[in-house]
Amino acid sequence: MKKRAWKILATSLLAVSTAVVLGACGSGSKKSSSGSNDNLPDSPYKVSKETPAWKSDDRKNNTLTWYVNADWWNKEYGKDYITKTIKKDLNLNIKFITGDDTKLNTYFASGDMPDIVTIGDPNSKVARTAKQWAYPLQDLATKYDPYFYKVARKDTLNWYKLDGKSYGYPNYSNTAADYKSGNILPRDAFIIRKDVLDAIGDQDFTTPEGFIKGMQAIKTKFPKLTPFGFNDFSGGNSSLENVVQDMLGVPITTKANKYYDRDLDSDYLTWLNAFREVHSDGNISDDSFTDDSDAFNEKVSNGQYATIMMGSDVNHGTNLQDFASKNPNSKYVAINGIQSTKGNEPTLSQAGISGWLISYISNKTKNPAKAIQLFEYLLSDKGQMLVSFGEKGKMYTQASNGQVTWTKFANNVQLNEPTKWQKDYRIGEFILFGHDRYKALNKSSYVEAVWQMQDWGKKYLKPQFKIENIAPDPSTQESRALSAVQTNWSTTMVSLIRSKDKAEFDANVAKYKKFQKDNNISGINKIRNEKIQENIKKLNE
Amino acid sequence: MLEEQIQHERRPNKFVNWCREWIHQWQLQSMVIPGIIFMVIFNFIPIYGLTLAFKSYSVTSTMADAPWVQFQNFKTIISDKYFWQSVQNTVGISAIKLIIEFFLPIILAILIFELKWTPFKKVVQTITYLPHFLSWIILGGMLITWLSSNGMMNQVLNALGISVHTNYMLDGNKYWWIASLSDVWKEAGWGTILYLATMSKIDPTYYEAAEMDGASKLRQIWSITIPEMTNIISLNLILSVSGLFNSNLDQTLVLMNSQNQPKAEVINSYVYRVGLTQGDFSYATAVGLGVSIISVILLIVTNQITKKLNDNQSVL
Repeated sequence: MKKRAWKILATSLLAVSTAVVLGACGSGSKKSSSGSNDNLPDSPYKVSKETPAWKSDDRKNNTLTWYVNADWWNKEYGKDYITKTIKKDLNLNIKFITGDDTKLNTYFASGDMPDIVTIGDPNSKVARTAKQWAYPLQDLATKYDPYFYKVARKDTLNWYKLDGKSYGYPNYSNTAADYKSGNILPRDAFIIRKDVLDAIGDQDFTTPEGFIKGMQAIKTKFPKLTPFGFNDFSGGNSSLENVVQDMLGVPITTKANKYYDRDLDSDYLTWLNAFREVHSDGNISDDSFTDDSDAFNEKVSNGQYATIMMGSDVNHGTNLQDFASKNPNSKYVAINGIQSTKGNEPTLSQAGISGWLISYISNKTKNPAKAIQLFEYLLSDKGQMLVSFGEKGKMYTQASNGQVTWTKFANNVQLNEPTKWQKDYRIGEFILFGHDRYKALNKSSYVEAVWQMQDWGKKYLKPQFKIENIAPDPSTQESRALSAVQTNWSTTMVSLIRSKDKAEFDANVAKYKKFQKDNNISGINKIRNEKIQENIKKLNE
Repeated sequence: MLEEQIQHERRPNKFVNWCREWIHQWQLQSMVIPGIIFMVIFNFIPIYGLTLAFKSYSVTSTMADAPWVQFQNFKTIISDKYFWQSVQNTVGISAIKLIIEFFLPIILAILIFELKWTPFKKVVQTITYLPHFLSWIILGGMLITWLSSNGMMNQVLNALGISVHTNYMLDGNKYWWIASLSDVWKEAGWGTILYLATMSKIDPTYYEAAEMDGASKLRQIWSITIPEMTNIISLNLILSVSGLFNSNLDQTLVLMNSQNQPKAEVINSYVYRVGLTQGDFSYATAVGLGVSIISVILLIVTNQITKKLNDNQSVL
C-alpha cells in the first residue's frame, strides 16, 4: 500500500515540476524572434536636429534599468556629482544591475530584458544576434533624438552595423582620425630601470644579439635582479605575443589583405629564439610563466625586474608609480629595444575601433526615447567632459587649446581624500561611454611614471582595425578548432622559450605547424579572410 | 479463498489507514515540504536543461526554440582530442587520489583512535583538519610559491646541499602527483571524521576481551576495528569509485598554466572553458551528460561488487 501512496506522491510531484517547466518554456517562447521597429511609440516631445532631445523632453520620473555584464561595475546612482548631474539633466533614474555571462543568458532565456545592456565581447553570440533583441540606434535617433548623429562617430557606427543598421555603441572606440590626431596614447613599451641603464654602459637592446649580451651584462652587475620580465600569463599570452609582434612591426595582413599568421613570422621567431638564449643563460625566470597578475604586480612595484616588455603600462601605472615614487633614481624608462631585424618600424596598437564595452538598447524597453537620449548625452561633449573630469571650474579648467588641468581643489582631494574622490566625485570611473580622446586632454589622467613611456611610443601608433573580430563564430567547428590551435600555441610559445637548443626550438615550431594543419587551419583562415574583407568594406563606407 | 477475499476487502481500508496516519503526522510530514520544493527547483527542473545536449543552442534564442541536432554534439566529442586528453587526466589524477586518499584516512583514523592522551589527540586532529577549510584559491597560491624556482621546496633542497632551481609547476609530468598529493594533504584529515565516529561506537568490551586473550594491538585492529568498519569503508569506496570522473575545478583553475595544461586539463575545467568561456553551451552540456552517465554506471557496478563482498547486503 505504501507503494501506491508513493506513486501518487511521485506523480503529483512530477506533475508540479512539469507544469513549472512548461510554464517557464511558455514565457520563453513568447519572445518574438524578429525585432520589428515600426511600432515605436510616437515621440512625446518636439524633435529637433539642432538641440539635444533631453532639453525638450520634460517628462518627469523616468526610470531605466541598465545591465552591465561586469561584476566590478559600481552600481551606485545619484550619489556622486557625475550621476547626480545625469539624473538632474535627464530627469532619469537608472537602476544598475551587474552580473556575469550566466546572468546575461538567464535574461535572454526568460525574455525579461533590462532596458539597456552592456556587454564586453563584440565577437560573442549575443553581440552577433543583436538584431533580434535590440533596437537599431539609427531608428531611435531619427525618431527621438537626431542630435545623436552629431555626437556619435560615423566610423564607429559603421563598424557596428549589422545589415545596414548599428545596434550597439562601444566605449573607448578609437577611430582612424583619433590615431592620426595624436590624441590617443600608446600603452606598450620596452622599459628598463634607470639605475641599471646607467650602470651597464652602452648596450644595444634593439638586435637579438645585443639583447642577449645586454641581459648578460645586467646579470653580472645586478645579480639580485631578474634581468628580463614580461606580463603574467593569466589573461592570455603575456606581452610576448601581440606586444612583441607590434614592437617588431610584424604585418597584420598580407599585401593582398589576406590573413597573416603573425605567430609564425620569421622576424618574430628570430626574437623568440633570442629569448630562448636569454632563458638558457638564466636571465628569464621560470617563475614568470607561472606568476599570476598579483605576483607580477608585486614584482613591478618592487622593481624586481631590470627590464620589462611592458604590455599596457597604463594598467600597471599604480605599480610603476609606486616604485618610481620610492626610488626616483631607478624608475623605469622606455628605451628602444626589441626591434625588427628586417627594418620594420614598430606598429604599436591601442584600443581599436571595436572599443571595449558595448551598450545596446533592448527592443523590450518601454522608454526608447529616454534611452537614446542617455546615449546621446553621454557621448556629447558635455557628457564626456562630465564623466572624465567632473564639474567645470570646481574640478578642472580648460585652456583654449582644449588641454585640461585639475584645479588646486581637485588635486588636493585626489591626493588627500581618495575615498571622497571616488565616492563623491567618481572621476574616471563612470566609463560606460568614456573615450581616450577626452581622457587624454588631461595629462594627469595617467600617472606620471608612464608619461615618458607614452611619449616614447606616440609616433609608432598604427590602427589594426582590419583584423578586429575576425574569429569564427562561436559553436562552429572552426571556432572549436581555433580554440584548440590557440591552446596549443600558448603551450608551444612557452616551450619555445624554454627549449634547450635551437634544434628543439625548430622541432617545436614544426610540431605546432603540423598541429595547425591537423586542426583545419585552412578552414579557419578562410573565415578570417572573409571577415577581413567585411571589415575593409565597413571601414571604407 | 476466504483469506483472499478478506485481504481484498481490507485493501482500501489499509490505504485509508495510511492516509489517516499521514494526516495525523502532518506536523512532521510538513517539515519535508521545504526539502521537496528545494529538490524540485534545484534538482528536477534543471534536468530540462539537459535537452541542450541534443540541440544547437545559442544564448539569444530560448532553450525551447533551439533546433534539435540529435547526436551531433556527441559525435563531435568522439573526435575531440582535447576532450580525451582531459578524460585521461581526470582518470589519472582520480586514480592516484583514489588509491592514496582511500587508504590514508583509514590508517590515520586508526592512529588517532589509538592515541590515548586526549590533548595531543585534539592537536593532531585540528592540524590535520585545518587544510580542508582553506580554499583552493589560497592553497593553490601557496603551492605555486612553494614550488617556484626560489620557493620553499628548492630552498629546503638547497639547504640540504642539492642545488636546484626548477619551477615544478612548469613540469607537466609532475602535475598529476602535485595535484593528487596536494589534495590528499588537504582532505586526508577531514576524511577521518566518519571513521572516527564509527570507531567510537565499537563496544570497548570487545577490546577488553581481546586483551584478556592476549591479542596484540595489531591483532585487535585487524580483528575488531577493521571488521566493525566494513560498512562505512565500502560506502566510501563506492562513493570514491563513482567519483572517478569527478575532478576538482577550483584546484585545476588555480594550478593550471600553459606549460602543464596538456597534463592538467580535467573534464570539469574543459567543460567550463568550452561552455562558459567560449559560449558553446550545447557541446559542454553534452560532455557533462556523458560524464554523468558513466559515473552512474560506475556507481552501480561498484555497488554490485561491494554487495557481493558484503554478504549480498548493499550499503547504499
